[in-house]
Amino acid sequence: MGALDGIATGFQVALSLEGIMFVLIGVFVGTFIGMLPGLGPISAIAIMIPITYGMDPTMALVMMAGVYYGAVFGGSTSSILLNAPGISGTVASAFDGYPMAQQGKAGKALAIAAISSFVGGTISVVLLMIFAPMLASVAISFGPPAYFALMLLGLSAIASLSEGSTIKAMISAVIGFMIATIGIDPQTGTARFNFGSANLLDGIDFLVIALGLFAIAEVCYLIMNRDKKSIGSAKEIGSLRLSKSDFKEMSGPAGRQSFLGFILGILPGAGATIASFISYITEKKIAKNPDEFGKGSIKGLAAPEASNNAATSGAFVPLLSLGIPGSGTTAVMLGAFLVLGLQPGPMMMTDRPEVFWGIIASMYIGNIFLLILNLPLIPYIARLLTIPRPMLISLVIMFSFIGVYAISFSVFDLYLLLAFGVLGLLMRMFAFPAPPFILAFILGGMMEQSFRQSMTISGGNISIFFENNISLVLIIMSVLSFIFPIIKTIRTKKKEA
Amino acid sequence: MLKNVNQRIAIVLAVLSAFYLILSYQLPTYPYIPVDADAIPKTLGWLLLALSVGLFFSKDRDSEEQKAKRHIPKKDVISLLVVFLFVFLYITFFESLGFILATVLFVFSSTWYLGYKKHLVNAIVSILFPVILYSIFVYMLQIRLPAGILPF
Repeated sequence: MGALDGIATGFQVALSLEGIMFVLIGVFVGTFIGMLPGLGPISAIAIMIPITYGMDPTMALVMMAGVYYGAVFGGSTSSILLNAPGISGTVASAFDGYPMAQQGKAGKALAIAAISSFVGGTISVVLLMIFAPMLASVAISFGPPAYFALMLLGLSAIASLSEGSTIKAMISAVIGFMIATIGIDPQTGTARFNFGSANLLDGIDFLVIALGLFAIAEVCYLIMNRDKKSIGSAKEIGSLRLSKSDFKEMSGPAGRQSFLGFILGILPGAGATIASFISYITEKKIAKNPDEFGKGSIKGLAAPEASNNAATSGAFVPLLSLGIPGSGTTAVMLGAFLVLGLQPGPMMMTDRPEVFWGIIASMYIGNIFLLILNLPLIPYIARLLTIPRPMLISLVIMFSFIGVYAISFSVFDLYLLLAFGVLGLLMRMFAFPAPPFILAFILGGMMEQSFRQSMTISGGNISIFFENNISLVLIIMSVLSFIFPIIKTIRTKKKEA
Repeated sequence: MLKNVNQRIAIVLAVLSAFYLILSYQLPTYPYIPVDADAIPKTLGWLLLALSVGLFFSKDRDSEEQKAKRHIPKKDVISLLVVFLFVFLYITFFESLGFILATVLFVFSSTWYLGYKKHLVNAIVSILFPVILYSIFVYMLQIRLPAGILPF
């Protein structure tokens, strides 16, 4: 199937009545969960997974993708209105969005955020449509050594996913990998670390980890902050109208940062958060009046908003074409694919073109829905934020329970969920980042298998990873991308000292 | 000696890695397999041990922000523990009472405990959500959730 046929198939899926309905549900739920401070896209996707059981996998994934980019889109609302970013990718949006809201221009700020997000989302989907098939056609010839090297590159993201301490990020990843070794080894049938329990023979389901480390742990923080303010009535938002000069001012940053955001999104570990910060800093550097930044600058809001949404589509490039996640969120997306019985990667474009192209095409539709949801309807949606926190907490716990029980039908897994919730809370308290954990958990099992397959092919000779040009280049890239952030941290520390 | 919290965590992690390593060395191995089921676990165990030594001697100190994050007021600790107790009871009675009853009781009581005062709204939400979700899962998606003592 050629690319044009593929695109046509994709739009057939996305524009079917079912497709439109599920995109709408996905982006709506994503916008809503993204807005809630504390609950991020990982929780949003994990909570939605049980709803997809028994659904057509294409539609399920179209919806899940909608939840993901919807969450990034919606996260800006609480950044602007509350100065409490809904997700980490929208932290930079609060720098100028919140001052604007304080000046009584909340409506204007929301409109700028929505339009810039739309620009970022749309430009990056076009780029995704070009780059994902290109990458997939290269990756189709990859054998186990190249796959191992690719996953190593994905895992090298942990160095940049650290929030300050690289060593803590690495510890978090190693423990995630260790958890992945629990259960029967698929190659030899040896039962590992199950302590004689039949419940652990199949290993621990990724949903238990994702919901525990993220949703339940985030709920714990909600419990502690349940008395904090929530958004008041829609009256405070004000007019959403933008003038011609506003459009002119935001067009430059939104356009430029869409490209930058997309590229950063493709790179392992970068993702929406880093993309939004880099875009904000770049715009500030090239601006004529950098002093305006931080005081309600239109450019300062448009740049991170375009960039974080573009990075979200960028992150789909390695996920769809290689089957390799480069961040915690895409790792959970990969988990969602696997739960539905699909393996993303180069073969998906030829074997399941309706899924591959359907997801991409649905993003166009999703972005248009998001613009509608976030422009005229935002005052009404913001009212949803007045859901009392005590009720929200109970309902999130309930949803997490359904998710885990419906996949395993085991009460044991519910206790595990609680245990991982406590672990997630402890990790947050002691500043151990959770995304490297989930990334290593999901990549770890796959990596071990491809490593051992390669070694079986070579009869135990490790040089197999260096004989093949592709795997050699990928290994060098992983080493560089692993070392670079560490050197950078050491340098900044030296400068500070 | 254990001046900062990172050093204490490092000790816990070192113990954990030792425990994991002991189990890894007990894994059975087979001849003619270049890399057996024990290879990766052993590597991970040693890696964690090395990283915990690294953490012990690292110069990373707690920032004030992190200290603040770790400081949980006593009343919040109690709220957390009570909600954990509710969750624990919810799990324990999940199958015997059934999804609907256990969930209604859990959602209502924890929402109430966490300070929501409109009891009628709370009761409506905590009954409607579980009933609707149960119907969707059991009758539409054909995914069995525990019926418990209720007949449907």
